[in-house]
Amino acid sequence: MTSGDKRALLSLVAGFTVWSAAFVLLYALQALGCAYGWSQHRLVLCLAFVVASLPLVWLAFWQSPADDEPASSLSVIALWANRAALGATVLVFLGPIAAVSPCL
Amino acid sequence: MSQTPSPIRLHKQLDAIWQTPSGWGRLSSVNHTVLGKRFMLVALVFFAIGGLLSMLIRAQLATPDSAFLGPELYNQIFTMHGTVMMFLFAIPMFEGCAVYMLPKLLGARDMAFPRLTAYGFWCYLFGGTILIVAMLLGAAPNGGWFMYTPLSSRPYTPGINADVWLLGITFVEISAVTAAVEIFVTILRMRAPGMSLPRMPLFAWYMLVTAGMMIFGFPPLILGSILLELERAFDLPFFDPNRGGDPLLWQHLFWLFGHPEVYIIFLPAAGALSTIIPVFAQRPMLGYRAIIAAIVAMGFLSFGLWVHHMFTVGIPHMALAFFSAASALVAVPTAVQIFAWIGTLASGRPRWDIPMLYVAGFFVVFVIGGLTGVMLAMVPFNTQAHDSYFVVAHLHYVLVGGFVFPMLAAIYYWLPHISGRQSLYRLSVPAFWLILIGFNLTFFLMHLTGLMGMPRRISTYPSNWGWDWLNLLSSIGGFILTMGLALVLADMVLQFRLGRRYRRDPWQAGTLEWATATPPPTYNFAALPRIDTRADQLSPDRIGPRLAGGEGYLGFARNGEQETLAVDIATGEIDHVIILPRRSFLPLWTALATGSIFLALLFKLYWAAPLGALVTLALFLMWPRSLGQRRDVGPVDIGRGETAVLDAEAVGNVTVLANRTAVAMNGTLFASLLFGGLFLLIVAPNWTDIAPLDMPIWAGLSALLAAAAGAVLAWLARKRNGAGRPAGGFLAAAAIAQGVATGLVVPLMLAVPDPTGHARQAVIMAVLLYAILHCGLGALMAAHGVWRIGRGFVSARRQTELVLATLWAAYAAGATALALGLTLLLGSAGGGS
Repeated sequence: MTSGDKRALLSLVAGFTVWSAAFVLLYALQALGCAYGWSQHRLVLCLAFVVASLPLVWLAFWQSPADDEPASSLSVIALWANRAALGATVLVFLGPIAAVSPCL
Repeated sequence: MSQTPSPIRLHKQLDAIWQTPSGWGRLSSVNHTVLGKRFMLVALVFFAIGGLLSMLIRAQLATPDSAFLGPELYNQIFTMHGTVMMFLFAIPMFEGCAVYMLPKLLGARDMAFPRLTAYGFWCYLFGGTILIVAMLLGAAPNGGWFMYTPLSSRPYTPGINADVWLLGITFVEISAVTAAVEIFVTILRMRAPGMSLPRMPLFAWYMLVTAGMMIFGFPPLILGSILLELERAFDLPFFDPNRGGDPLLWQHLFWLFGHPEVYIIFLPAAGALSTIIPVFAQRPMLGYRAIIAAIVAMGFLSFGLWVHHMFTVGIPHMALAFFSAASALVAVPTAVQIFAWIGTLASGRPRWDIPMLYVAGFFVVFVIGGLTGVMLAMVPFNTQAHDSYFVVAHLHYVLVGGFVFPMLAAIYYWLPHISGRQSLYRLSVPAFWLILIGFNLTFFLMHLTGLMGMPRRISTYPSNWGWDWLNLLSSIGGFILTMGLALVLADMVLQFRLGRRYRRDPWQAGTLEWATATPPPTYNFAALPRIDTRADQLSPDRIGPRLAGGEGYLGFARNGEQETLAVDIATGEIDHVIILPRRSFLPLWTALATGSIFLALLFKLYWAAPLGALVTLALFLMWPRSLGQRRDVGPVDIGRGETAVLDAEAVGNVTVLANRTAVAMNGTLFASLLFGGLFLLIVAPNWTDIAPLDMPIWAGLSALLAAAAGAVLAWLARKRNGAGRPAGGFLAAAAIAQGVATGLVVPLMLAVPDPTGHARQAVIMAVLLYAILHCGLGALMAAHGVWRIGRGFVSARRQTELVLATLWAAYAAGATALALGLTLLLGSAGGGS
């Protein structure tokens, strides 16, 4: 497996791995903020969302360099998967963080 | 060696090596074709049992105020229906399909670990048998298939019923765990040369993602089952809110598994559809790359939905919104696949046959189920419909639509491969219509009964609430559905007895499994092909005879060994030759010993369980005896003028990849345990008025140092071995260090006051026990490496044992560090007196 293949394979799951990590982080911060009564709860959540989104924005527009198969095919698939991950991040997290009450 | 004998002589030579003997020898089979068929056959038996239970349910609910079963028995029946269908039918059915099909589809001669396949099968059979026998004896689980606490805790289920579920299902899940590792490794490393990842058939992609989901999806449930059994057996209050536990922890752990589980069941079925539809559309699959991206998306998104099963438990709105949005969003990658299938059919020249009937049935039923799923993803609607028959209708539409219909399509598509005969058709068509009509009559009406307020799990209802006719029609539909399935069964039996014989590749498919003879020979392919195009666009009728004649790789029998090829993960280029273990009774004995552990726990013979564990461990240690080489052989001939090294001399062989996968799985289980501890700390009641614990920090730090030293020593041993220097001493020191770490955690455990008093102490005991077990495992792996070095199985080129010892030692050190961290955190919680 060349380094190009390895990169393409990793980028295939990179976007949604970041999405999963962001999910865990935001859900944990939401719970912690409620448990300990953080005064800047929503701000913390918004910052976490921005931080989590940055690598996803990069992944959504960066294609791992690959001249030949299988890396070139994999990198195209990875690009679409990573764009889907960015879309999922915006659709799943942004609305709730911006507009919904974080605690009971 | 490359001088190939005549095809018939080659077949006889290979069959002598790969065959399963008759009589009692059948029990020693490790062949994937045999075991795949056994998995599917047993799964169909459980399907029949589950179907029988569903008929009892519908008989009970057919009329109001029914006294047919009574509430106690009814609770057992509906619990067992769900349990049997989910754990004993759906998962094992696709496992069996994968075990049978994958090597043939990928161009290999067997799965990566044939004995593990056999072990998994026996665990499945014995575990399932425990559940069914318990039901026949009237001691079946009765708390619903998701076993919510506190109902399933000891005060409310004092008998053996819940233990049967927890232990029986955990026993069965061994087969799911082993299958996940096997499928993952087999797809990544055991394809035909030249079959790069982007050339793989879509079915393999679906199974790869499914296996990945199983690796991360099953551990939370296994952990939850262990914790609940510990609570029931030893009164450790993980789920008791009076003592710092929380019933919601069980729901989180269960649904962390339970929702991905739905997709774990659906994806293999979708893989079958992606294989069948292009064949009958007579054109390649549309959107191959988009489908792979969609599968990856589904695999991940399905882990972000679990709380939609818990929308009414009192969760903050923001969390509800996360899970609601993710639940709705998962419809998008599903739709990508559905449109790709429709597009393939629309742009092809579809020909109708029995599999296509079920594909059409799938489209109708599954789309309805998907749409009601999106409805239920909306929190306000869910709040109204929660725990009503609307949910029962939805889950049956997605599970029957998303698994049973595709599975029936797959049965009709691939049964000729197993039987060597084609369907008779006389029964197939009426069977389909009975199933489709019966199913919709049964379950569509449940949407209405649900919307009219009928709750799930009630054993009867009064006659003046307007549910009578809907329930009676549902029951009639249920029996029509059963008749249809009985006809399918009869059709299958008749096909084996009377079906028309056919020449190779009856459907004009483009995948490699049809290049084998049908029924397939024990070794699949007399020679392995080289693939230079996408592997769902081949010509099996042209390739098959050439492979049977020995044209290809490994087209010979050598030293009586079961040989197949391993390839590079991405490129599919040849990496090494795998020598697979031959048939053996060891998997059966090991499964029986494993069963003794579960039975000892079930019957509260706690003194016997460690004995069973020791016997199981001893038997597992016997497994590698026949594996490996005592000298460096170097590259060997593989045919076509090429050479490759044997697996013992390969750096990243399948054993190493499987162990890395097992570590990922194990790490997920541990992460779930850490999550449980943190969840209780933050969310559970009764944590504020407890006093901090006084823990011997010296013991913890010493244990961590010893575990870290073990990891470093194992790594040094590996480095020395790689450089051709003696490594046994360092590895022995690593084993000792890990053993010392094991001993040093004990004082910490002894310092924990009364673990039954509060969930904090219970969680600390659990994480420390986990650390002890894994330091012990690290010591065992290192000691095993020392023993293998002594036996001459290790050299600078043959270093698998050292790689594994290093891997497990590092994992043990990491687990110890995290266990100690959580211990200190929870130990300092509280502040009361």
